[in-house]
Amino acid sequence: MIKKIDALVGKLLEGPKVVHRGVLGVFYYVDDVTTLVTTLRGLGHTNITVTSPVPHHDVEKALGQGPSLVRWVTFCGGFLGATAGFSLCFYSMYSWPLVVGGKELTSLPPFVVIGYESMILLGALSNLIAMLALARLPQLKAPAPYDARFTEDRIGVWVPGDGPEAERVRDLMRGHGAEEVTLHA
Amino acid sequence: MTTSALDPHAVTASDGHDPHGVTDPAITQKSLNADSLRLISKPGPWWWGIFILDLTILAIGMIAERNQIALGIGVAGHTRPVMWASYVTNFVFWVGIAHCGTLVSAVLFLFRSHFRRSVYRIAEAMTVFGVMTAGLFPIIHLGRPWFPYWLFPYPNQRQLWPNFRSPLEWDVFAVTTYMTVSTVFFLVGMIPDAAAARDRAKSAIAKAWFTIFSMGWTGSNVQWKHYYTAYLFFAALATPLVFSVHSVVSWDFAMAQVPGWHSTIFAPYFVAGAIFSGVAMVINLIIPIRKAFKLEHIVTTDHMEKLAKLVLFTSTIVGYSYLTEFFMAWYGPSKYERDIFWWRATGHFAWAFWIMFTCNVIIPLSLWFKPVRRNMAVLFVLCLFVNVGMWFERFVIIVTSLAHPFEPATWDINYRMSWTEAAVLAGSFAWFLMYFLIFIRVLPAFSIAEVKETLIPPKRKAAA
Repeated sequence: MIKKIDALVGKLLEGPKVVHRGVLGVFYYVDDVTTLVTTLRGLGHTNITVTSPVPHHDVEKALGQGPSLVRWVTFCGGFLGATAGFSLCFYSMYSWPLVVGGKELTSLPPFVVIGYESMILLGALSNLIAMLALARLPQLKAPAPYDARFTEDRIGVWVPGDGPEAERVRDLMRGHGAEEVTLHA
Repeated sequence: MTTSALDPHAVTASDGHDPHGVTDPAITQKSLNADSLRLISKPGPWWWGIFILDLTILAIGMIAERNQIALGIGVAGHTRPVMWASYVTNFVFWVGIAHCGTLVSAVLFLFRSHFRRSVYRIAEAMTVFGVMTAGLFPIIHLGRPWFPYWLFPYPNQRQLWPNFRSPLEWDVFAVTTYMTVSTVFFLVGMIPDAAAARDRAKSAIAKAWFTIFSMGWTGSNVQWKHYYTAYLFFAALATPLVFSVHSVVSWDFAMAQVPGWHSTIFAPYFVAGAIFSGVAMVINLIIPIRKAFKLEHIVTTDHMEKLAKLVLFTSTIVGYSYLTEFFMAWYGPSKYERDIFWWRATGHFAWAFWIMFTCNVIIPLSLWFKPVRRNMAVLFVLCLFVNVGMWFERFVIIVTSLAHPFEPATWDINYRMSWTEAAVLAGSFAWFLMYFLIFIRVLPAFSIAEVKETLIPPKRKAAA
């Protein structure tokens, strides 16, 4: 019974086959990848995907990645959260005005706690949503060919393309220390 | 992301190796995957034995709780003037335990304390399960526990809103925010490691399970870029949160004019106490795990010693706070304050006070000695004492102040812990441990990706 369920889940996870066109290189050394990426970018390739078990700063530099947009979304979420927290306190006080001990209805200091916690809550949730949206998560199918070794100790470089251009990239990868190069056409 | 001084992932050694991380040269990226994922296997008889014992204790706690719901809160033995007693003690204790995870994962992340990488996942799991346990107590303590949603601001026909000026309402916001943010932080940190587990899963069901937690992560450069930026912001948001939550919890007491509670020292005193008990609990959880699964090369003795130093550091803050409280009572104008502190140390509950003082101030002084910090058996026992001491700290604050208020006519000591309270307390430990025991068997308990970052990145130049 469990075996049958397992086989069914396996089928569901596999999903429909996706056809990729391009070249996938598997590397071990980080500096090989850095040099290859620099060379590829020099030749005009911009759509390069580097997949690795840990982030490598040298590779990030070679790819010329700019800062992430996540920070702006997080900032807006935090701002919205603080505004919502304070607004809720003020609104509730005026919707049922109840003077306690002759004090002002809108006493700001206690509302700071609500505003502050709401700022952190919405900031964190916006941070999460922005990260997931920009990193295209969750995803059922990887946008490029994937290998289980990329979560172990190998680095994958994927360059989309076909024809003689793809063959040139394949040769370039071989010349830059790739352990394996696969042409997807 | 660049390798600037502001980069929290920047490594210090010239070869790219992190001297505060895993230092054994025999460890490779491949062996790290295998060692960390070794925990996710069929549990043995030891695990089952502990788990069944745990469920038995939990069942006793649940029977006591069922009894309390059926017969009323009176069975808990709370009597005037001690109406908060052990349930609020438990709440503050478990919120305190929960604080260490965010300290290790967020605060130490911002401070570039790289030793955190080996221990932070367990600390974060402890945080999430700690808040889940703490969150039960305000509900358990309600006279009508089926109305907890009255605490939340929701639109209703009569336009009734909670009192936003009340510290108890601040607590609702602080604790629910903390629970949400720490859970998100925990699950986000897990994404790359769940992907590593997914790629090594032996069955399709296991693969599906890890696919859910990895969300289809591949580790592409675009994903890493957004992931680490978001991680930095999670840490930046969680750091003020961790300090604010226990400050807010302390204001549940400090905003009241009860002698022994009405003090401005409460917020920093509670935060230090929370970190103190939380780190001690992390040590108590990690020592058996690293021993049972032979992971001493991932969580090294150096890492444990650094945690022990944190215990020592926070112990000195807690000890200083105890003495400051006494000094302020003696130096200040309130005779009620002087009276309560004298009574705490010499009155009916003096035994609880001296357990607290011995466990939290005197015993941790032995951590000044390096052999104590590096001896796992001694460290384990010492941290157990710290946790006992920290539970009694909350008990002393809550029960002694309530039992000895302004009005001498109410000083008749009629509170003693009931069997219901004791069973619910034991059940809360079992509830916490149940989640923890399941967690270490079904999800990566160590951050594989972050520990990998402490290794020397393979470079052809170095290999040549």
